[in-house]
Amino acid sequence: MNPYVLITLLFGLGLGTTITFTSSHWLLAWMGLEINTLAIIPLMTQHHHPRAVEATTKYFLTQATAAAMLLFASTTNAWLTGQWEIQQMTHPFPTTMIILALALKVGLAPMHSWLPEVLQGLSLTTGLILSTWQKLAPFALLLQIQPADPFILITLGLTSTLVGGWGGLNQTQLRKILAYSSIAHLGWMMLILQFSPTITLLTLITYLLMTTSTFLVFKLNKATNIATLAISWTKTPALTSLTPLILLSLGGLPPLTGFMPKWLILQELTKQDLSTLATLTALTALLSLFFYLRLSYAMALTLSPNNATGTTPWRLSSTQSNLPLALSTTTSILLLPLAPAAMALFTP
Amino acid sequence: MTPSHFAFTSAFMLGLTGLALHRYHLLSALLCLEGMMLSLFIALSLWTLQLDSTCFSASPMLLLAFSACEASAGLALLVATARTHGTDHLQSLNLLQC
Repeated sequence: MNPYVLITLLFGLGLGTTITFTSSHWLLAWMGLEINTLAIIPLMTQHHHPRAVEATTKYFLTQATAAAMLLFASTTNAWLTGQWEIQQMTHPFPTTMIILALALKVGLAPMHSWLPEVLQGLSLTTGLILSTWQKLAPFALLLQIQPADPFILITLGLTSTLVGGWGGLNQTQLRKILAYSSIAHLGWMMLILQFSPTITLLTLITYLLMTTSTFLVFKLNKATNIATLAISWTKTPALTSLTPLILLSLGGLPPLTGFMPKWLILQELTKQDLSTLATLTALTALLSLFFYLRLSYAMALTLSPNNATGTTPWRLSSTQSNLPLALSTTTSILLLPLAPAAMALFTP
Repeated sequence: MTPSHFAFTSAFMLGLTGLALHRYHLLSALLCLEGMMLSLFIALSLWTLQLDSTCFSASPMLLLAFSACEASAGLALLVATARTHGTDHLQSLNLLQC
């Protein structure tokens, strides 16, 4: 791709998210989301492959529908209450519709089925942008509206954690597994959104760190399915021993970063007398943990038989920059002792 | 609910229903999207006319500009899909369901 075009598109991605962050008017927020969608579409189709084109078409249809629904709901809100402010949503009907539109935009459970297919059709770099940067703008809007009815957010959250765990069980493709892991993590964020938006923000940031390091590891290994991942010891042995820790951090095991959001969410849900809900979500996390464990097992504990030429890719030096990988890996493993500091940082 | 509110709401809902349920051609999906955007254009224009305010009068034009960009991106994707898949049937978009 022409570097000028690439710079323009990346600038558009940044601009869209920034406009949504700084807007208090629904029309400007919608414009930011549209700029975001329009800027990532050429990035997604930059390899003219049938899979990439198909994934882009599906992404375009869902995002355009979600954006139109968002603007329709805010226009209805303006007709009903005369208010265009994001933080002044009082009528229950437009609020529910906006929550559903944003759920379609980020891919929460009843509206999730586009996400695994779209992510499967993309390169790992574009997939990284799609599952990190593109989540920020919808979440900035979700954090600002207060739903009148707690039922819808809890339903979305619980269904997402369940579907995210269940869908990933039978997958061998890494990008689909990452898509289902994204659905499950977004479900956790939805569950806690109305009780403590601070914890939602913390969960989002830790999820972004962990998924960044996972995507970068897979990109370094050029791995798109489990079988390719199983010979990653021939390329980077030290990273291969570190990657199970990243995956288990995504799964939420105690001494790692991923335990911090799950711990705080379960504690907050128990405080709100929702111990049944807390138990159910903790049980659905086990489903997700199963496929992370399978990835770790295939990567670190098995030695698949290979011929001599298959085990010498370490001779080819990689051109990928190591600094982002090192930073995100360190933070996605070692951040748990900083939990009080992180909470204090995100408390408004 | 005023008659104009009812008119654009029903137009938008009709477009959304068409997009969600009539899944045969990609072109018809794009047309439904365009119909939804046009009903939103009518809604914003009526809002401006009812308020008699000049500060909001640019918004329908902004919406129209963005929806034109969106429609052109959709048509570009239609061409790309026709070149890679040979047809614009939504049924043939099935390469990624593994």
